[in-house]
Amino acid sequence: MSNPSIGTSSKAKVGSSQPSETSFKRKRGVFQKDLQHMMYGFGDDANPLPETVTLVEDIVVEYVTDLAHKAQDIGTKRGKLSVEDFLYLIRKDMPKLNRCTELLSMQEELKQARKAFEVDEEKLATLE
Amino acid sequence: MKQSKDPFEAALEEQEESPPDSPVGEDELNSQTPNEAQNQTDGGQNILVDDDDDDYDDLGPTIKNPSHPSSSSTPKLHSTSVNASVAAAVTNKNKEYDDDEEEENVDVELSKFPSSADPTKMAKMQAILSQFTEDQMSRYESFRRSALQKSNMRRLLVSITGSQKISLPMTIVVCGIAKMFVGELVEKARMVMTERKESGPIRPCHIREAYRRLKLEGKVPKRSVQRLFR
Repeated sequence: MSNPSIGTSSKAKVGSSQPSETSFKRKRGVFQKDLQHMMYGFGDDANPLPETVTLVEDIVVEYVTDLAHKAQDIGTKRGKLSVEDFLYLIRKDMPKLNRCTELLSMQEELKQARKAFEVDEEKLATLE
Repeated sequence: MKQSKDPFEAALEEQEESPPDSPVGEDELNSQTPNEAQNQTDGGQNILVDDDDDDYDDLGPTIKNPSHPSSSSTPKLHSTSVNASVAAAVTNKNKEYDDDEEEENVDVELSKFPSSADPTKMAKMQAILSQFTEDQMSRYESFRRSALQKSNMRRLLVSITGSQKISLPMTIVVCGIAKMFVGELVEKARMVMTERKESGPIRPCHIREAYRRLKLEGKVPKRSVQRLFR
């Protein structure tokens, strides 16, 4: 079976706070807290079982890993890795694609708004 | 409070659609730790449903596709709903954004609800949200506000790609994709549970079955190389 043996992943690392930039160790429970709230929001119990959360985290990390690897494959063809590669990978999945474009456009708007806000503050400062 | 209105009007005039209801990027650019605390403590404060719904009783039942949330299932709000990281935006210095956007769109009433730049859709959302029970409201709030931490995601992406240049939009996009994937998993796991006529918290076997089905549907990227030596 090609099912990943979730429970026996050997990439556990205990409680180190070093940012693992080039090391390949992965802390367990990186997303635990956020995932608990998220799973509740999506329909699970108010207190999801810890083993369920761990399993979901493993699956998500594997998903992101595969996604990033594929994006890298695409990205190297055109130079470097960019957001476009991720968007290309989810092009078939309409809800995700729409959501991502929405997030990106919102981020742009906020950047602009913040810039305008700072300009305004400068103006006020110079006036006073 | 509404001091810096003009620059926002100027900035927002450029936008074709109505301004975002919830400045999602704010929270994602700032730390998301306030979310956790606020999930527990603020409760309905930032959702702000109750007070302002009086204005919208007229809209009443304009629901064409009633996604009547049953007690334990959540409405599927995939593409049109805005990410839930709203709370921090209010409590951070960016409160002005919310206020200004509220002023811009008085109809919207609150900048917390999903906007697809469509007043009818917004009206529908208001109508639906006003009918939520407390339980549903808290679940919806968790749905909107929860998010994966950008810093953790960035670290993960750096370790995967080996490259340091992970841009902020990329992190945001991957966080959004991952969140939706979690949603698919959990919803499918719930479906599996109803098929098996089980109840209670979701167990790992349900998740595994859901994951297997997602793989069959092709929603999970397949590895071109077998994963050995785990």
